[in-house]
Amino acid sequence: MPDVADRVDVALPVGPAGAAGLEHERGVVRWVGWFATRHPLGFVGALLVLAVALTAIFAPALAPHGPKDAAFATYVAPNAEFPMGTDHLGRDMLSRVVWGARLSLYVGLTSVLFGVTIGALWGAVTAYFGGAADSVSQRVVDSLMALPPIILALALMAALGQSVTNVIVALALLLVPTAARTIRSVALSIKEMPYIEAARAAGAAEWRVIFLHVMPNTLATYIVLVTVNIAYAIVVEAALSFLGLGAPPDEPSWGSMLTAGTQALETAPWMIFFPGLAISLTVFGLNLLGDAIRDITDPRLRGGLG
Amino acid sequence: MTLAPEAAKGDDFMRRLALAIAILATLALAAPSAPAQETPRPGGILNWYVYGDPGRLDIHLESPLSVQQALAGIYSGLLHRDPADPDKIVGDLAERWTASPDGKVYTFHLRKGVKWHDGQPFTSADVKATLNRVLNPDSKSPRCGSMLKPIVAGVEAVDPHTIQIALKFPAAPFLEYVASAWCVIAAKHVLDKHGDLSKPEAQIGTGPFKFKRYERGNVIEWEKNKDYFRPGLPYLDGVKQFVLVGFPTQLAAAKAGRIHLWDTWPPMKRTDADELKRARGDEVHVYQVAQNTIFLAYMHTQKPPFNNPDMRRAVHLALDRQELVAKALEGAGVPCAVFDPKLSGDFALPLAEVQKMPGCRQPKDQDIAEAKKLVEKHYPNGVDVEAAVRSVGNYVDRAQLVLSQLRKIGIRGTIKTYESAAGFAVFGKGDFVFLPTQDRAMVTVDPGDLFSLIYTTNAGSNWGKWSDPKVDELTERGLKETNREKRKQIYWELQRHLLSGAPSAVPVAWVEGFHFVDKRLRGYKWAPTVYDNNTFMKVWLQP
Repeated sequence: MPDVADRVDVALPVGPAGAAGLEHERGVVRWVGWFATRHPLGFVGALLVLAVALTAIFAPALAPHGPKDAAFATYVAPNAEFPMGTDHLGRDMLSRVVWGARLSLYVGLTSVLFGVTIGALWGAVTAYFGGAADSVSQRVVDSLMALPPIILALALMAALGQSVTNVIVALALLLVPTAARTIRSVALSIKEMPYIEAARAAGAAEWRVIFLHVMPNTLATYIVLVTVNIAYAIVVEAALSFLGLGAPPDEPSWGSMLTAGTQALETAPWMIFFPGLAISLTVFGLNLLGDAIRDITDPRLRGGLG
Repeated sequence: MTLAPEAAKGDDFMRRLALAIAILATLALAAPSAPAQETPRPGGILNWYVYGDPGRLDIHLESPLSVQQALAGIYSGLLHRDPADPDKIVGDLAERWTASPDGKVYTFHLRKGVKWHDGQPFTSADVKATLNRVLNPDSKSPRCGSMLKPIVAGVEAVDPHTIQIALKFPAAPFLEYVASAWCVIAAKHVLDKHGDLSKPEAQIGTGPFKFKRYERGNVIEWEKNKDYFRPGLPYLDGVKQFVLVGFPTQLAAAKAGRIHLWDTWPPMKRTDADELKRARGDEVHVYQVAQNTIFLAYMHTQKPPFNNPDMRRAVHLALDRQELVAKALEGAGVPCAVFDPKLSGDFALPLAEVQKMPGCRQPKDQDIAEAKKLVEKHYPNGVDVEAAVRSVGNYVDRAQLVLSQLRKIGIRGTIKTYESAAGFAVFGKGDFVFLPTQDRAMVTVDPGDLFSLIYTTNAGSNWGKWSDPKVDELTERGLKETNREKRKQIYWELQRHLLSGAPSAVPVAWVEGFHFVDKRLRGYKWAPTVYDNNTFMKVWLQP
């Protein structure tokens, strides 16, 4: 039986796959040039995100000292030896901020991938089947969305206990309802498309229709959800760690560095300045990049490819 | 230092105690005392704080300071420290007492007409029920029981107002123990009704204040006991203890004037005290004080990797106490000492000797190299341990420092945090491998205390289940010995034994720090332990 999945490519309404495919012929360099001129803010965002990502990847090589080595004098102001100073226990702040990038990106990426993927599956499946199951599941989503996210995250962390894995689980759970709601709305229109009808007429099993025909067509929305929410996840992780319920205390999390900094605001302002700057730049970069990706993938905002 | 003459007879220990307290008093020089002529003014609510939620409120079966603090004004003891002069041990529920010539039987004559907070009369049956409760071999009484079990043979109610306590041997610190804030007397009818004292409704005492309200995690309130057996006392209408968890919250409350007094654990560090002085200026007295509290690192002796004495020895060698005191206590502490000479006088092994011993000497290179070899012998690739920490004071910071030091010898720790009371419950059951930091405050200033509380097989805070026959034997000899010089030698031997061996609890430092008293608060005196003289019966507030 010829597989109707062939149509997926044809039917893909918009998306980076299409844009990249077109641009691929002109070369990556030209695409970057196009991106930089059409979306200068997005380009700045991309550079910031790239810088943070490289810092995270090469943390062991970049950090002059171990992030947990309390081997130096306490409260040393930034100088040539310690460009970001040392903290209240005598740890090199630069090393901690560098390793903090790794922890933040790891937590941000994994939690968002898990959360949005589970939410997307939930949304697509319930949208496809509709009926009572859909109504019930949407009320569950409603009730989850009614809870203030930070309170929900705090409660989850208090129940699960402090560990990096549990932070990821808690953040992922926060993201599930939004992703489910968003993907469901996209899936509802996709399931009315003629090619879905064709697939079903051709006798494709329901799981096959959902996974091979509905879900791939929600990819654009999925990618936007991921980029936008990484920044959110990083901020919530920092907030949880700031409140003492995030990553374990000795992990170099930007949030817990801020907490330590608040206790020495008068003696060592650099303890709060550098992790604060790191969080701000990362979130700023991710938001700019996320906005640009949304613009590129949204046909109403897309003004052609230049 | 005065005691009833019949009790003080031949008591060298008490003279030493006086010396220690004199030194302590000089330390606390700046501590306020009301001008003698000032007339106490009745009324007002004292605002105080407690560092963590006490949880279970059973004063006899629990050991955290938060529990003792929550109940300090509710109960009375047979004896207590004189609120006007905490150096003295005086009668509380006991009007007077006598010791038999051989020092083995003490007779306490109880006050008449004392009523429990629920109106029932107080009698010797209550004292007997209380003492039998803490002495019960099946009950775990980590403070009072730990101290009294090794020395008390039996308790007899002679008549409703007389109680006799027979000792196994004439024990030097007996009266100190009886006067301890942990050995307060509970009502027999309350124990019969509730089974234990863990619930708020079971807090029926004879003390100056009644237990009014306990809102978990928020506030503990006492109200004036109008029928208190000392007429005219207390002066205050009540006391409020706010549960303030986390140092920044505590310091913020102090700076904002929300609390009148900071005389408890954790002490402020020097920079905090300076910050407070900047914020409150002339409104507060700030003073430095030795806390009578030891900072320990516990290892469980029946769980890997620390069931191996080599691994415990490695930790002992690797810990850099000087760095820990410098960074975690901002220099306010005595590194490595098993006893602080300021508190224990010459019962403390001379610091010059202590600081030359392996594990304590500086620089650390040789000790670290040796510790590394010990770890490599058993764990060539190093070993991972879970480090359990209560989220109180600056424990989490201290733990990070300890773990940073141990990483150098191949012990890699990950921190698991506990809320205060939950942590105590878990540690008490022995559900841990490593506690990088835990302070234990002494109940008295007697040198025997430390061993009966932490190091003997049956010690109340022997959480790591360590058992060393030599420690048990020397501790018992120390309690029995009445010759001061011989007693000193026994404790020196014990200290050398701990520092050269592989105990479960590694002595890191004796903790010092800063306290403050709002100048409006009058009649307050700091006692030689954090537990004593916090009933506030003679304290008043000047508007």
